[in-house]
Amino acid sequence: MGASLVLECEHLAKRFGERVAVEDVGFSIAEGEIYGLLGPNGAGKTTTMKMVCGLLTPDAGSISIAGRQAIGNLDVKALVGYVPQDVALYPDLTAKENLEFVGRLYKLDRRTLAERVNEALELTDLADRRDDRLDSYSGGMKRRLNIAAGLLNHPRLLILDEPTVGVDPQSRHAILERVQAFGREGLAVVYTTHYMEEAERVCDRVGIIDHGRLIAEGTRRELVAGLGQQDSIELGASGDLERLAQICLAVPGVVKAAAADHSVRLVANDGRSILPALIEAADAGGFAVTSVDVAEPNLEAVFLHLTGTALRE
Amino acid sequence: MRVLAIARASVLRVVRDRTAMFFIVVLPIVLIVLVGAIAHGVTSFRVGVLDLDSTGPSRALVADLARTPGVTVTRFSSLHALDTALARSDLDTGLIVPHGLAAAERAGRPIAVPVLAEQANSSQQAAAAQVVAVVQREGGRIQAAEFATHYGGGFARNLLRADVLAPRTPGVRLGEEAVRAKAVTLPAGYEYSAPTELVLFVFLTAIAGGATIIETRRLGMFDRMSAAPVSPRTIILGESLTYVAIAAVQSALLVAVGALAFGVSWGNPLAAVVLLLVWCLVGAGAGMVAGTLFRTPEQASAIGPVVGIAFAMLGGCMWPLSIVSPAMRAVGHVTPQAWAVDAWTNLLASHGTLLTIGRELGVLALFALGFFVIATVRLGRTLSAGRA
Amino acid sequence: MRTALAIARKDLRQRIRDRSALVVGVIAPVVIAGLMSFAFKGVENFTYTLGVVNLDHGAVSAGLVQALETPQLRHVVTVRPLPSAAVARSELRAGKLGAALVVPAGFSASVATSRPESLLTLSSDQFAIAGQVTKSIAASFVAQLNADRLSVATALAAGAPPSELSSLAGLASRLRIPLQSVERPLGAHQLKVISYYSPGMAIFFLLFTISYAARSFFVDRSQGMIERMRAAPVRPAEILLGKALSVFAYGSVSLLTIGVVTSLAFGADWGAPLPAIVIGLALILAVVFLTALVIGLSRTQRQAEGIASIVVFGLALLGGNFFFISSAPSVMKHLALLTPNGWALRAFTDLATIGGGFGTVVEPLVGILVFTAVVATAALLLAPRAVRV
Repeated sequence: MGASLVLECEHLAKRFGERVAVEDVGFSIAEGEIYGLLGPNGAGKTTTMKMVCGLLTPDAGSISIAGRQAIGNLDVKALVGYVPQDVALYPDLTAKENLEFVGRLYKLDRRTLAERVNEALELTDLADRRDDRLDSYSGGMKRRLNIAAGLLNHPRLLILDEPTVGVDPQSRHAILERVQAFGREGLAVVYTTHYMEEAERVCDRVGIIDHGRLIAEGTRRELVAGLGQQDSIELGASGDLERLAQICLAVPGVVKAAAADHSVRLVANDGRSILPALIEAADAGGFAVTSVDVAEPNLEAVFLHLTGTALRE
Repeated sequence: MRVLAIARASVLRVVRDRTAMFFIVVLPIVLIVLVGAIAHGVTSFRVGVLDLDSTGPSRALVADLARTPGVTVTRFSSLHALDTALARSDLDTGLIVPHGLAAAERAGRPIAVPVLAEQANSSQQAAAAQVVAVVQREGGRIQAAEFATHYGGGFARNLLRADVLAPRTPGVRLGEEAVRAKAVTLPAGYEYSAPTELVLFVFLTAIAGGATIIETRRLGMFDRMSAAPVSPRTIILGESLTYVAIAAVQSALLVAVGALAFGVSWGNPLAAVVLLLVWCLVGAGAGMVAGTLFRTPEQASAIGPVVGIAFAMLGGCMWPLSIVSPAMRAVGHVTPQAWAVDAWTNLLASHGTLLTIGRELGVLALFALGFFVIATVRLGRTLSAGRA
Repeated sequence: MRTALAIARKDLRQRIRDRSALVVGVIAPVVIAGLMSFAFKGVENFTYTLGVVNLDHGAVSAGLVQALETPQLRHVVTVRPLPSAAVARSELRAGKLGAALVVPAGFSASVATSRPESLLTLSSDQFAIAGQVTKSIAASFVAQLNADRLSVATALAAGAPPSELSSLAGLASRLRIPLQSVERPLGAHQLKVISYYSPGMAIFFLLFTISYAARSFFVDRSQGMIERMRAAPVRPAEILLGKALSVFAYGSVSLLTIGVVTSLAFGADWGAPLPAIVIGLALILAVVFLTALVIGLSRTQRQAEGIASIVVFGLALLGGNFFFISSAPSVMKHLALLTPNGWALRAFTDLATIGGGFGTVVEPLVGILVFTAVVATAALLLAPRAVRV
């Protein structure tokens, strides 16, 4: 591996009264790694994040950031950058004033503060609007500034909570690019989202949380492969679809075939590679295939399989 | 009807707002109680007495003072306490019964009796006049007793004689005749506080309600309404109805509380109802104007109450205009409050009717009309501009 | 500490930017105090128009009318000569007079005889006390006269021979009532209305700071700013301290400005500067802890606004900020001393009337600090919860 661990959590637990929010969660993130934390509502995702940020004290377990114990240690918070889901900035203050305020919370001295604020404004391309009140900004601009605010203290670990919710496609693209750049720059990132495409695109590793436990962890490939998911194929056709289904079943690699209203649904081991054979067989049977739809296994499916719920509520 | 729908939505929002209900219902009632307890007008002067002699004669003097109508006596034990009480306006005047009073009386020597009053303060002067009259009356008895002692009997005996003779001796009598006069102020107590607080709070509530209009604007609800097949006039009517409705409910509540809990008679029923309705319209109009004038709810909730309170002061809700200078009275009548209080005074103190308050009702109606016109013009402009 | 200052600075910046803060903090109290000053300018509490019907025009009645126009009574009674009792009655009915005094024809002449005429006071049923005051003034005027007559009568009853009546009368006329009332000014200054309502209104609007600060805390929280502060290396105590500092700063500036403006523009007397400042600071401290208490008791912004309103108006009403507490029933005067603003008002008015320095404000200061201590204890127990995310 070589890269040092920036975050190490072990056996984190937290309960609120009777309700157990987090039972046993542990994971580690290395420098430059982008770790996606996925889970349905109430899984313990938010609670885990808040514990890592120091907003909640765990009932059990340990958190170590850049080798230092984080629990109960105020100074360690200076190593963490926090980008909350809702833009947490003051609408009645200017961008510059907002950033200066946040910087002061991190005890940056005057010179450093000025430098960092300028840097942040340049980075997010908001330098020419630094003296405009935040309530005059568009949603996308506010989010960019929100992220910039999380970077003022040059953190080792960045926590991003659903950073692209409600963001227009262009800004979303920009944000995702940015996050990947963070990774390349050596920043460790914890990224929560329920947009599967994002997780698949941006994250190096993914951890799936449900009912307060980390039920699966690994790269996308590992997770998908680990469950042995098969492709599903849908062939659109007309006529005696039962017979077509039988024909398809005979093609090697097809595991299941069933006729539906206007198509035949198949499950196969490697959808893409058997497509030609399928079409040929259908053709030979006298069927004209009007549409083909191949669904590859993805994290959404993995998630569904593991938790029994869809990721998107 | 769509007007009702708009009004209903707004009223619901207000009723659910607990802070609003505090200001609409709780606070006025509290003030009615408090002000009612205080607003008893001047029915007697408060005199503090420091008896430095503590003899029979000194106690008799104090007792005589206590019996005087229009005087309430409180006994003090130190000059400092008496001075402090006077300075704090807890008293209207002070009487110091000097040490050696009895001795001086027996010896037939004159003695000075200090009465504490500031020359520039008329309350104190008026109170002092009462006290001085009593001291002189007392002194007269003593003079008579001393004089008579030359001719026989003891001092004490002659004092008794003087007391017996005083009512029968020819002297300048002071007769008194009470005349029924026109009321210039509301009756004392709750009959004072209930109408004035009602006038004050209905207006204040309506102006504060202006914030709701601004909120509606901000939430984009006006846009939504405009997008629906609803004319600006309907929207405006709907909003106005809200305010009138809230004001009417508030008025009804305060009238009921006043009548049932505090025994306030609100005067001629027909006249009272008309006056209440007209005042609701004035308040509603003012609220609408406020809604179109301020840009943010914070502005409205800061400036609105200040204006409402200032008007209430000028208009005679907090103190009767009869005690201020004619110039201030005139200035006060620039506010609708003054006319409302005048009308209530007529109804409650002079048992007026719809006819006798006609002039006040007319002026108030003009105020209401004026407010609505301004509000409609401004709101109409906003709505037709499409930018709320 | 630095972060607390940063938070305070940010709060104040937002406050200053919000124009309504300027209105509530400075303009409104000054305007209202000024209004009250104008309303009560030159008007003391007790005054009325006295109609005088002098049908006599003799020496004695002239003396009586003169007695009504002494410097002492100038502000009490405005004398209006009227031609007849009938006119006086109609003027009274119309509410144009507070009372009327009728001196019958032949009064002066009759005074020396054995059957002097009576004086008649006409009083309004709306304003009975004016009639009583009129009677008292008239009584004082004729007091010596009546005393002399009583002396003669008593002497006769005591055994003086009736034959000596005229000499008795002559002797009696040389007597002087032995109790001589002497008017003495107070040891203290008179309290001007403006000197009561300037601090009264200033303090009332100072209390409003509680609403504003409590509300802004919850706005911060709903915007996620408290969470942001907690994610940073900031202790919860520092967040509360920062808020407290901003309230303290704002309150101080507000109170000081109103004090200066009302003193210079309206001649309000706040008393000696240093003791007044001490009282002001103690009161602001109470406000800081009250704010913290309201924050600690509330869970949402709406709740905070509601609780703050009750606290602000409850304290203001009890403490006498709206009306002259001295004209209230004594139970209310005692209730006022349960509030810090009630004590502060007493301190300011005592400083303006009795004068004195720190000695005058010791008791009120203790009163305010005791209240503050109680509130602070509750606040320090409850408020930190609000800062926990």
